[in-house]
Amino acid sequence: MNKLIITVLGKDRPGIISKVSAILYENNCNLENVNQMILQNQFAGFFFVEPPSGVTRNQLQKIFLERTGDSGLTIHVSSLGTNGSPEEESPTEIFLITTIGPDQKGLVARFSSIIASFNANIINLKAVFKGGSDPNANVMSYQVAISSDVDASAMFKALKEKACELNLDIRIQHKNIFDAINKI
Amino acid sequence: MFDDYEIMSTIEMVKNENLDVRAVTMGINLFDCVSHDLSVFKEKIRNKIISHAADLVQVCDTVGEKYGITVVNKRISISPIALVGAPFSSDQMVEIAHELNDIAKQVNIDFIGGFSALVEKGMANGDKSLIAALPRALAETQRVCASVNVATTKAGINMDAVLLMARAIKEAAALTAEDDGIASAKLCVFANIPEDMPFMAGAYLGVGVADAVINVGVSGPGVIKQAIQRNLKDKHLSLGQIAEIIKRTACKVTRVGELIGREVAQNLGIKFGVVDLSLAPTSTVGDSIGEIFQALGLTHIGVPGSTAALAMLNDAVKKGGAFASSHVGGLSGAFIPVSEDLNIAEAAHKGYLTIEKLEAMTCVCSVGLDMVPIPGDITEECLAGIIADEMAIGMINAKTTATRLIPVPGKKAGDKVYFGGLLGEARVMAVPHSDLKDPFVTFGGRIPAPIHSLKN
Repeated sequence: MNKLIITVLGKDRPGIISKVSAILYENNCNLENVNQMILQNQFAGFFFVEPPSGVTRNQLQKIFLERTGDSGLTIHVSSLGTNGSPEEESPTEIFLITTIGPDQKGLVARFSSIIASFNANIINLKAVFKGGSDPNANVMSYQVAISSDVDASAMFKALKEKACELNLDIRIQHKNIFDAINKI
Repeated sequence: MFDDYEIMSTIEMVKNENLDVRAVTMGINLFDCVSHDLSVFKEKIRNKIISHAADLVQVCDTVGEKYGITVVNKRISISPIALVGAPFSSDQMVEIAHELNDIAKQVNIDFIGGFSALVEKGMANGDKSLIAALPRALAETQRVCASVNVATTKAGINMDAVLLMARAIKEAAALTAEDDGIASAKLCVFANIPEDMPFMAGAYLGVGVADAVINVGVSGPGVIKQAIQRNLKDKHLSLGQIAEIIKRTACKVTRVGELIGREVAQNLGIKFGVVDLSLAPTSTVGDSIGEIFQALGLTHIGVPGSTAALAMLNDAVKKGGAFASSHVGGLSGAFIPVSEDLNIAEAAHKGYLTIEKLEAMTCVCSVGLDMVPIPGDITEECLAGIIADEMAIGMINAKTTATRLIPVPGKKAGDKVYFGGLLGEARVMAVPHSDLKDPFVTFGGRIPAPIHSLKN
């Protein structure tokens, strides 16, 4: 069975999830997984569904277009293929890499390129650049999954050197320390 | 995923509030090294300690790096030398101290504790030899720490040992006169000594403990102070609410210690012992117990209200820590070491904190008269009297108390003394009537155990 992913983007307001899920329900699609986030005032949502036999990606895309065309939402339906579950991966250790310091153009590009060059995977990124003199107003925080075949110490060294070059304070700490302090 | 506050507050604790793990101490049992032959004994203890602790420093640094939390001190505690070296003379005990000092250097640790005796109910040959050896052993070595337990709630106070310890402290200080009597700064006299404490100078490995164990001492006075100040910045809180903030913060600090201690133990392949919940200061601004008193609205530690504040602080730290850790031990409370805490040293210098008030405060905190420089010409009797008073507080209240007093040769009240490093610096504290030679402490014998020792 082909699974579908419906991506919903648009200005946040009440009723977006209700609208999308109602359409899915009416069309007998089985909702498997939903996630959403709001960045500033923009809504982004992902709906993983298993459609009933006979309903294609194109049909569902058309239905969404007809029902939400004037809503200001951008809704895209794409096919996941037969296997929507994540691939088996080697065990990883998760580190939080946080930089604090003055905003400059290209910060995320520069740090993420180092992380990518070591083949480590960014599983979450939060970046806030408000400018100004408050150092805590300009923060990037990467959650990076590092598998055993990644040369972690070389990557940390490269990241620290880059932070030093850009006059940023960088902290690299295993996820467990944040769990220990914050999750009880 | 963590929210922004969780990430930033965690980073802030390390970056600006001096959160660290104060001590990871490996306890090593030396009973299987016992021999009547000194050279065999020395060889066995060297082999055993090095075989366990060769990687201690490196593993602590690696784990600290992984979590971004510094393990400040890596140390070793051993079985009491007076027990495992029971057949030896005092000269031979000095040789053992040299051997331990050398081993400490080899494994790159700053202190090894356990040059110790337990004499609350009497002294055997090893105990007498060790106490007689203390002045030279501590003056001629740099990394050996000594402790002698002279009292317990169950046994009472061994007043013969109290007087002997007063002499040993004065002699040790005299032998290191040019260094402000630093040998005495490595010597603690205890009541109810804990057998799993990671902090020096009193750390030793108890008789009923495993062959090797990792005990951890957390720190974090800076974190507690900042939490109080942050919460008081724009609102009024009652002391009950402030105690709750201290408790929650202590819980977080303790979980850091436990996480790191367990991982160090796992990486070294030995058992994890306890987390000692003590708040331990350093002579750095922002890493001070004294500053917590100021955050609580007191002019300085030592003014009226200080004992109540310390009682609340100590209790809240214990409550938060006990919830956070499955195995709590050691001293667990707040330290008030005069020379090791810049702010406490300043309070003493300005006259807010006197030795009498310090003694009163030890009724409600975890240690005792700790790192207190006193005039070098104090009489043995007066020094023994101070020790006996402190031991009585521990005995009656069924708690640990200790003294680490440094009678600084040639110096009087108000003179500056410098010990260096973590041991810090301070002014000599005034001791009223320090010239008295009252015979009370020379009667000897034991002060009987209190009635509540009969609990069975």
